[in-house]
Amino acid sequence: MTTQDNNDDRIALLQGTLDLLILKTLALGSCHGQGVARLIQRQSEEAFFVDHGSLYLALQRLEDKKWISAKWGVSENNRKARFYTLTQKGREQLVEKTGEWRRLARAMGMVLDNHHVPNREEA
Amino acid sequence: MFNRKRSQQDFAEEIKSHLELEADELKREGLSDEDAHRQARCEFGNVRVAQERFYLRDRWAFFDKALRDLRFAFRSLRQSPGFAITAILTLALGMGANTAVFSVMNAVLLRSLPVDHPERLVFVQTSNPPMGTGTVDSNLTFSYPVYDALRNQNRGLSPVIAYVPLSGNKVAVRYGPEPEEAEGDMVSGTFFSGLGVNLPLGRGFSEQDETDHAAIAVLSYNYWTRRFAREPDVLGKTLFVNGVPMTIVGIAAQGFEGVEGGSSTDFWIPLQNRRELNAWGNPPEDGKLYSTNSTWWCLRLIARLAPGVSRTQAVAQLQPLFQSAAYIGLGSPMQGEKPPVLSLGDAKPYGSEQKLARPLHILMAMVGLVLLIALTNVVMLLMARNATRQREFSLRLALGAGRGALLRLLLMESLLLVTAGGALAWAFAVAATRILGQWAQIESSLAPDRTVLLFTLAALALAGLLFGLAPLRVALAGKAELALKTSAATSNCDAGKSRTGRIVVTLQLAMCVVLLVGGGLLIRTMRNLENTPLGMDVNGLVVFGVKPNIASIPEGYALYAGLLGKLRAMPGVESVTIMEERIGAWWSDNSDMRVDGRLPDVANGASRTVRSNVVSSDFFRTLGVPVLAGREFADSDNVNSPHVGMINEEFAKRFLPNTNPLGHTIGTDDGRYTMTIIGVVKDHKYRSIDEEPIPMAWYDYAQIPYIGGMNVEMRVHGDPLAILPAARKVVQQLDPNLPLIKPMTQRDQFNTTISQQILFARLAGCFGFLAVVLVATGLYGTLAYRVSMRTAEIGVRMAVGARRGQVVWMILRDSLLLTSAGVVMGVPLAMLVGHALTASLYGVKPLDAISYVLAVVGVCVVALTASAVPAARAASVDPLKALRTD
Repeated sequence: MTTQDNNDDRIALLQGTLDLLILKTLALGSCHGQGVARLIQRQSEEAFFVDHGSLYLALQRLEDKKWISAKWGVSENNRKARFYTLTQKGREQLVEKTGEWRRLARAMGMVLDNHHVPNREEA
Repeated sequence: MFNRKRSQQDFAEEIKSHLELEADELKREGLSDEDAHRQARCEFGNVRVAQERFYLRDRWAFFDKALRDLRFAFRSLRQSPGFAITAILTLALGMGANTAVFSVMNAVLLRSLPVDHPERLVFVQTSNPPMGTGTVDSNLTFSYPVYDALRNQNRGLSPVIAYVPLSGNKVAVRYGPEPEEAEGDMVSGTFFSGLGVNLPLGRGFSEQDETDHAAIAVLSYNYWTRRFAREPDVLGKTLFVNGVPMTIVGIAAQGFEGVEGGSSTDFWIPLQNRRELNAWGNPPEDGKLYSTNSTWWCLRLIARLAPGVSRTQAVAQLQPLFQSAAYIGLGSPMQGEKPPVLSLGDAKPYGSEQKLARPLHILMAMVGLVLLIALTNVVMLLMARNATRQREFSLRLALGAGRGALLRLLLMESLLLVTAGGALAWAFAVAATRILGQWAQIESSLAPDRTVLLFTLAALALAGLLFGLAPLRVALAGKAELALKTSAATSNCDAGKSRTGRIVVTLQLAMCVVLLVGGGLLIRTMRNLENTPLGMDVNGLVVFGVKPNIASIPEGYALYAGLLGKLRAMPGVESVTIMEERIGAWWSDNSDMRVDGRLPDVANGASRTVRSNVVSSDFFRTLGVPVLAGREFADSDNVNSPHVGMINEEFAKRFLPNTNPLGHTIGTDDGRYTMTIIGVVKDHKYRSIDEEPIPMAWYDYAQIPYIGGMNVEMRVHGDPLAILPAARKVVQQLDPNLPLIKPMTQRDQFNTTISQQILFARLAGCFGFLAVVLVATGLYGTLAYRVSMRTAEIGVRMAVGARRGQVVWMILRDSLLLTSAGVVMGVPLAMLVGHALTASLYGVKPLDAISYVLAVVGVCVVALTASAVPAARAASVDPLKALRTD
């Protein structure tokens, strides 16, 4: 069971965003699951909380869709690890999903920014 | 590497490596080895859950869950075995009875013949035969010239197939040294090819075989199995049919037992042209066989519609041809005669036996009611059980079970019940149809087939859904909080719920009244039929058929005279006689007769038909029918003495009123044979038990110019059947080829004519009884449950001074109210049912008071018995204990 600390500022990931983050991370080069998790957390300045179980399932899902491929290898500190690489199909998906996400974020931003409710403002 | 499934181990490995990598990194950040590992695991979250999710990812998760639910449901049912067994048995009985009756209905009314494209096959029928003809069945049999004319055209029907039994019942066959009896048909060469029946072994017949009257035979698969143990060597062997050698050339496809339901044909031979093998086993008439006697309508015709031709078109095309062929050998139609009209009927196995349709529909309705009672019973049991489980459900909800999970549990429980009940029901139905077939004397298979299976599965699926969903409302009514704050006294008193239960019980009681009245009427019909006076003393009578080959008429007389002499001389035999038509076997010879030289006058539209029989001396003495006037045939009446005949009272009353009938002459309608009446006998039954008195006349076998197979009637001391081995020896001294055909007691023979009514009544009685048992268990269950729910209430009542008698009365009053409501509803319904049954009743009125009173009393007794135990339990409630329970 995932427990979340209430006084943590981390944001639980929205459904579907994890896939995009993984694709983006792997676009920089092949990496193992632990690395992906660390990278996502670090690059979001620790704002995202990545549930590791979900991460691995997402990796498996993407692999099943053939957006990424996987291979057992050895990490820089000589540990056995499973390395994921973006496929051509994954690259195309990354472009498409990034576009989608940007449009969504923009739309959300517009809605949220333009509707101030003056009554609520306290003097 | 094509998308091979990744193993769980591999996934576990990856998680392990993740944890190691994370720990390494944490160590680099300055944590101790132990802390690093701990934190890595903490950060990861629940490894187990991740692994389980991975496991479920590529599995049919639903199936897995279902299996778990099933196991759980099984455990929960095992905790209340009484409930489970009652529910399963109730379901099995209700469903089994339905499956069995539907199976019979399917076999008799719905199933098509096991032939190629049965929908293109038709039975040829006629409105009536032309006047001046003899028929076997006035709508379904045809003369040879009609067959010949129809088969030689190919515009409307192609091919036209003729078949005719070699005997009214069974024929003598011999394979080894011992003679036996079997059912055989003579058929046209197109029989197997035209019907599209395969022959897994050997060959069928060709049109050439018909033309040549080839001495060959095809066995039915059933006969081959029963008699020849599926010996393939049987091909090429000889089967003697009425002493004529036939070479066995083929075995017909499994399941094909002829085109008529109710009997199963054992073998077929091509149409023959010899006196030993005449149609229906009759002796030649004026030296003419079925094929040359154009006025004997004896062949049954079945045909295939020509390609692209509809029934109406075929009838239109063939009508003129048929009507001209009908008068071949008769000349032109008589003045004012209605010409026969051709029609084509469904080629269903029981196409002609519509008399079975009505009883079967009524039975189906009855078992439908039984099933309804059974289903409501189980639903009520389930609801009662789940109401007591409400706290269990609430607890489950409180502990985090979803409503979906509860629903799954309930559906699984019902699935288990329905599966177990259904399997039992099927076994029950298979056994029941076998017994039903024996009782109804239907020799063809009634076993459930795929249609029946589908019917049962559909009914079971419906039951399963009903059982799963009905209690759901109760189960979900319980909120999670309820678990903690309720007690039996408050949680289980729900007015709405108990109202539903009361309505259901009332309806059940009403249906029970209907079934009991129906059953009662039919059982009284059966009693009436069984007790109908036959006009003779059948105790001590045994009957069997013999069909010797008779070369000439004098030889025939000599043979029977010899046989009678030998049989009469046997020890333990009181008297012996022979008759052409076996009495009590549905057979009779019907014709108009001349009285004093002319056809008697009858009032407008009345029938002139006389049922006649050909018998020997001692006929009436053997049967025990009193001779009212004159004498009966004696051995001294023979071919050289004046022709003598006998009549019954009804004949005298109808055709010779107000005069002494003795000495008047009667004779055949063509005037070629006359005889003097020498005796009048009391009316008695001839064809069947339920027949009304009808004019009857008897010829002396030793005087008429015609002789064939006979039935021997023996009156013996002691067990009638015990004489058969000795009688068989006597017959076989005469001719080793002769079996005793259908030997049985005369009582059994007469009972075959009411076997359907008896079967019908017994089944109706069984279903009525079944309904009573089901209603009793249902009522008991409901009341017992209500009493147990009210234990606390009763405790309070008694604590504040209610006496035991008052408590008992409270419970009994409840069930008496329900019963009277049920009776009030049931009686008018029963009247409707009784009205529908009118045609099937004999000697009972549809409003038979006794049946109604018995049914009502029966229902009351059942209701009171079912309430007695709960009432007693209520009375024995200990107030202190009751109040302390919660």
